[in-house]
Amino acid sequence: MQDLSSLLPILWGGFCTTLAIFGLTLLFSIPLGLIIAVLKMSRFRVIRYPVSFYISVMRGTPLLLQIVAIYFGSYYLSEYSGLGISFDRFPAVIAAFSINYAAYFAEIFRGGIQAIPKGQYEAATMLGLTKKQTFFRIILPQVVKQVVPASANEVITLVKDTSLAQVIAVTELFALAKKQQAAYASIYPLFVAGIFYYVANLLLSCFFAYLEKKLNYYR
Amino acid sequence: MDNAILKVEHLKKSFGDNHVLKDISFDLNEGEVLSIIGPSGSGKSTLLRCITQLETLDAGKVCVNGKDMVVGTDKKGLAKYAPASVLREIRLSTGLVFQNFNLFPHLTVLQNLCLAPVRVLGDDRKDARAMGRFLLKRMGLEGKEKAYPCELSGGQQQRVSIARALAMNPKILFFDEPTSALDPELTGEVLKIIKGLAEDRMTMVIVTHEMAFARDVANKVVFMDKGVIVEQGTPDFVFNQSDNERLNAFLSRFAKG
Repeated sequence: MQDLSSLLPILWGGFCTTLAIFGLTLLFSIPLGLIIAVLKMSRFRVIRYPVSFYISVMRGTPLLLQIVAIYFGSYYLSEYSGLGISFDRFPAVIAAFSINYAAYFAEIFRGGIQAIPKGQYEAATMLGLTKKQTFFRIILPQVVKQVVPASANEVITLVKDTSLAQVIAVTELFALAKKQQAAYASIYPLFVAGIFYYVANLLLSCFFAYLEKKLNYYR
Repeated sequence: MDNAILKVEHLKKSFGDNHVLKDISFDLNEGEVLSIIGPSGSGKSTLLRCITQLETLDAGKVCVNGKDMVVGTDKKGLAKYAPASVLREIRLSTGLVFQNFNLFPHLTVLQNLCLAPVRVLGDDRKDARAMGRFLLKRMGLEGKEKAYPCELSGGQQQRVSIARALAMNPKILFFDEPTSALDPELTGEVLKIIKGLAEDRMTMVIVTHEMAFARDVANKVVFMDKGVIVEQGTPDFVFNQSDNERLNAFLSRFAKG
């Protein structure tokens, strides 16, 4: 069996890649999800329908496939069109994860926005607040509280989903653990990797529990 | 009357085939209080929502503080509204107190009061806070500045929402059944506040099911049924002298309790 002291630094390197995928995905997918949520509630069908289609494709096909499609798809596209927009492996992963998670976040945010009573908009309107002020000062702060539990689920799933990046040979935590498993003919590295994921999610769970408590100052 | 601060003429409003308001006309002078009474579904709230621009009206005229909300008719025969800047001026001269308060739950009482004066009127934050504190004192809510709406009773919440409307210094204050969501024992404290405002000559339009209150506080009472004004006049006329059958049937139902 492999020595833990030699295994840990290797896995730690992979874990940093995992964290990078995780962090960058959240950074892009949350604002994108908010924009998509607002677009999906648009009065105009020409906006609403394509957005619905996008969400259904993102939620209806495997993320694994989407990663492959973005990486190889962009490669062939740039090869044949000469546009030169092909993604490197890591950016392809970030792009795929971001647009996939944005679709899920969008549906959570839309639910949160629609759960705000009509009276809140009417009160804001009567006080002369503009639509922008109403959204950012009245609606959004209340949406945040609404969507924390459902978003926590997504965020925790994301930690584990990062292992899908290995499909285009991005060496994140799980990919490295598998290499060690093969090299030492032992499943022990996989379990150690599992502990990494578990501890990360334990910390996240604590954070979200704290956040929920913090947002509980009003009903 | 030419000194009327609120003039409504031939107002009509339908939701599809449902003619909610058929031909509503009335006016109100500055410093006066108008009570609107009538059975549920008679169009009282819709009338208020049309005048406060929360609903669009189909036809008719509304003039608030000398400004016309409607400037003609469009090709479809529907009311053509005044330019946005005029509508905004009208909006800022009107305040509305809702049945369900609609306070902003994520903001403290004082933040509820100061948000619009600071963000909409551009008031100095310090002045807005001072004004907010003054209004809370007037509402008997001293010391509640930092409370969140959920920590207050229904009656206190409604008083905060009155203060929030007053903080914008409106020319006319509208009340849409301000006590209907309250327990009977909390109703009194809100009605007392509104009476106080009437004594201070605040122009108000009040939709209410509190008959005794409607009679006592108002200079003028409008009785609506099925989308039309059936009777209007002084409280004494409407409550004691009118021989209108529908009105008297309605009032006797209330007298029985």
